[in-house]
Formats: sequence, structure tokens, C-alpha cells
Amino acid sequence: MKKEIVFLMILFFLSSCRKDKVGFKATPYSLEIPSHFPEMVIPSDNPMTTEGVELGRYLFYEKQLSGDNSIRCASCHLPQHSFSDPNQFSKGISGISGTRQSMALINLGWESFFFWDGRKSSLEQQILEPVPNPIEMHQSWKDATAKLNADLSYRNRFFRAFNEEGIDSIKVAKALAQFIRTMISSESKFDVMYKFENKIPLTNTEKTILLAVDNEEWAGYDLFKSLNGADCFHCHNGPLMRVKKFSNNGLDETFSDIGRGGITGNQNDQGKFKVPTLRNIALTAPYMHDGRFSSLDEVIEHYSSGIKHSTTIDPLIEFASQGGVQLDSQEKFLLKKFLLTLTDYNFINNPKFKDPN
Amino acid sequence: MKIRIYLLLITFFFFSCTKDKKKTDSAPDKYLSIHIQPIFGNSNFYLDSIYETQEGYKVKFLDIKFYLSAIRNGNDTLAKAALFDFRSTGNFLLKQVADASKFSSIQGNIGVIQSLNHQDPSAFPNDSPLNISNAGAMHWSWNTGYIFVVIEGKADTIPDGTTNPNHNFSFHVGSDSYLQSLNFSNVSWQSISETEKRLSLNLDVLSFLQNPGQEIDLKKEFLTHSGAGSEVLTLKVAENFKQALKIQ
Repeated sequence: MKKEIVFLMILFFLSSCRKDKVGFKATPYSLEIPSHFPEMVIPSDNPMTTEGVELGRYLFYEKQLSGDNSIRCASCHLPQHSFSDPNQFSKGISGISGTRQSMALINLGWESFFFWDGRKSSLEQQILEPVPNPIEMHQSWKDATAKLNADLSYRNRFFRAFNEEGIDSIKVAKALAQFIRTMISSESKFDVMYKFENKIPLTNTEKTILLAVDNEEWAGYDLFKSLNGADCFHCHNGPLMRVKKFSNNGLDETFSDIGRGGITGNQNDQGKFKVPTLRNIALTAPYMHDGRFSSLDEVIEHYSSGIKHSTTIDPLIEFASQGGVQLDSQEKFLLKKFLLTLTDYNFINNPKFKDPN
Repeated sequence: MKIRIYLLLITFFFFSCTKDKKKTDSAPDKYLSIHIQPIFGNSNFYLDSIYETQEGYKVKFLDIKFYLSAIRNGNDTLAKAALFDFRSTGNFLLKQVADASKFSSIQGNIGVIQSLNHQDPSAFPNDSPLNISNAGAMHWSWNTGYIFVVIEGKADTIPDGTTNPNHNFSFHVGSDSYLQSLNFSNVSWQSISETEKRLSLNLDVLSFLQNPGQEIDLKKEFLTHSGAGSEVLTLKVAENFKQALKIQ
């Protein structure tokens, strides 16, 4: 009888056929997509997990990713500036400045090209660039991951996030991408205005906010959308406040930086840059790809009277021939009032995006 | 008794490890696709290339995009909506699982039908051309709905022997009243593989500009966003576009 029982147990053991490794299983992370936003497409090879997001947050604030342990992602993407840099050009560890302004990190989970010239097509690819870049963090990935590997807490965090040992650049990029995908900004006054005009149900809190939108802000919004007003909507549209395109917005007659043209090699793309979101625009000065404008007033003046004609200027800059849309001082005031409604203080103060240390 | 137990266990052992069998092979899906080839009269057409109109204007096109919606034959729907974006996706308009025998004629609309035009653009499925992520600049967020047709470019309207296309033109047709109906009869689907049949359409850009009796003079008629004051040009653009779209 004993033999039969043993035999039975062996058979039972074999029949269970378990191949799964015994290990830690990361917790699926459920993103809360705002009701007026489209769904976010998450890459199938980098599913969101609680552990991955948390690891990404640590890495975002991790100085060991730079060659001399002096700077981190957050050095050039400061939370209080909506994760952009108030300096015209960010400086790397060697004190060398780049030639383009740091882009704000807002709602990047909906983007499909990255950097001002769109040279990367995924967040994960984009993240791989700054660490080895000599004018940024200036450290090989081999050295960066060796530093992380020497840190037991990181070894544990990577294991929990990816259910396997080892740290490499791909895992770093994936974890950072997961964290950045959680950085959703959708709670500005503008969001309530957008939902209201698109007949999307408002919460009680939003109804209260709606009542606080003043006439000047509505008038500024009208100007923003008006073809004969500021005419901004062609490029800054929808809940994400941008369209997916590259545009020459009339900054120069000739180009010292050819932007998208440097990536495609197409002359018709010269002087074109990615259209950025206007969300949190009041917090993300200076403006344009080269940070040439230090204030919103300067930006408004550019579109009002400073447009320069060139061969690739966007045909949607419809008043280019007269230098811009020619706003008077009251219109500029109203437009700025509207632009300030795009500020999302809940986003920049969200404790989930702050330094975990 | 023992033998029975052993037999039972062995049977259990073999069955417990059975992986799911593959489903029985079924016939592969059959697809219908529609492609659109822009042309300029008798010439091939490319964005960013210079063409000459009958008035002698030099013209280059930067963007051609449009929606078709309610693409069907009677009660059989081929697609709720499709977006043509020549720069981004080339000649492709749509590809759907469908039976060609049901679509010997096709009706549809240039633009987005009213019942879809004013819905929340974020609420459409991710793979819908109407989802705001796919529509992008083809949606006007203050609820007039989608832009039905976008044609943008630059022209040189000064006949001085040089080519300097710096005069912008921008035609944006939208709002329900400018929806244009389409009707193609005797549709012939061409087999391009064992599983796909294709309908090829032409979009004659020259014909769009120079529709007899409704010519668009880019020197004077270069801008519409379908707003008040530009009704005549908007309607002309919509109608010319419709007649420029033909079966190859």
C-alpha cells in the first residue's frame, strides 16, 4: 500500500507539469486615464507594474546615472517647472551646454516621437540617449549599470520589477519609461473648459472649477481658437494640447539648426521641430526649441508680429505675410489669461512624482 | 484492483499534461482594401514636388488628408470611417475583413457623418481613425467635429519665369453641412493575393483645382476653414474634391 501511495504522489507531482520559476511576480499597475483622454498604448514588451514604476521613480532622481554622480534626470527636468529646465540650455557634467531646450515631461505616454527633431520613436529609446551623451550625463551604460549593480537595494528593486536578476540599460530604460508614463497632467482649469465644451460629464469638483473660469479666460480661449484671432488651435489642439507634427513656426529666415531636416535629410523638413504641448506652458519657460523667448509675452509677440518667412514655413501660419496675427494689447492680455489656465498644479505637486529619497 | 488503480493513474498522468490543442485550421480571413493614388492630370503625383497649373502657377502640395465615413453597400458596412493621410500612410485608405461579393457598389461620405462627428474623440477605440490620437489635427476640439478634407500647399502665382512657391494655400473643409456623398457602382475588386482584394481609386489633384466651371484660383482663393464668410470657397473645395475622386 505504501508503494502505491508513493507512486501516486510521484505521478501527481509529475502531472502538475509546473514550469513556472519560483520567484517574485510584479504587481500589474493600472493607469488612471482621464475621461477626456484617449487610451494610452503601452508597449507589449514593457507592461506597467507597481514595482517598475517605483523603480523608475528612483532612477529618475538617481545621480549615479551620471559620470561624476552629480546630475540626474530631474536636474534638467525639474518638477516645479513641469519637468523642464528653466535654463535656456541644460548643462551636462562637463559644464557643456547643449543647443536645444529641455522639453517638458508631460503626458509623454501619448507621444510617438521624441526630442525636438523626433529622432526617437519610443520613450524607451529616448531614455537610452542622455546617459552616454558626452554633453549630458556622460557615462557609458556599462559603468552606469555597474554602479547600480553595486547597490543591493537596486538589485532588489530590479529583481522585483523584472523577476530576474541583473541590471542593464534596457531595464533602466523600461523602468524609467514606466514611471514617465504615469506622469499624466489632466487637472488644469483648461481641462474643465475642454470637457464642458465637449459635453463630457464633469465631477462636482470640476463643476466648481468651471464656475471659477472668468470671462477673460473664456475670451482668451475664443481668441486661441479663432482663425481671425490668435489662430493657435491648428497646432495646439485636443486634450493633449498639441498635434502630432513637425512645424516651422516662423522663427528664422535661415536656419542655424535645421531640426527635423537633420533626421530625414529632406529639405522640406528644414527648420521644422516637434510641436510641443502647451500644457503647463506658464511653468516651462524659456520657450521654443532653442529657448530664445524667456516669457509668454515674448512668445505671444512672436506670433503677433515677429513671424519670419522661409521656404518651409508652415502654411497654417496664415498671416505670415504680414508678420503674424497682429493682436492688440487687449487681445494679448486675454490670450495670456487663457494660457495660464493650462497650468496643472496637482501635476507638479503630485507626491507620486517627487524624489522618493 | 491494483491494475485498475495503475491504469487510472497512468491515464490521469497522460491527460494532465495535455496542452491545448491548436484550433482546427479554418479558412483564412478575406480582406478588402482600398488604396488611393493621387495624380496630377496625366502625371504621377508626389508631395513637395512642383507642378504647373493651367494658369501657369507653380504649385506644390504639402498635405492631402481626408475622411471617408459610412462606407457601405446598402446595409452591409465595410467601414465606419477611414482616414487617408498621403504623407503618413501613403496610398492606403483601409483594409477590412469583408466579402467582395457584397460590395459590388460602394456608397459613403467624404467627411464624417453627423452621428460620429460630434462624439467625444477620445472615446473611440484606439484603432479607430476617429480616435483623437489618430485624428490629431483632423479634429477641431471645440466640437464642430472633424476636418473632412485637408489640402495644404504653396504656390507661385507670379509669372516671372522663376519658381518661388511662397504663397500658402490651406483648404480645411469641415462641419456637417459640407459632407459629400459618394457612390461608386460596378466596383471591380482586383485580387492582389490569395487573401486580399483591392479597389484602387485615383484622386486627380489637377482636376480638383480646375473642375470646369468651378476652377480654384490659388491667387485669390487660398484659404478656408469652413467658417462664416468662406462658404462659397468651402463648397467649391468640397465639390471639386468629390469629383476628383474616381475609380481607376
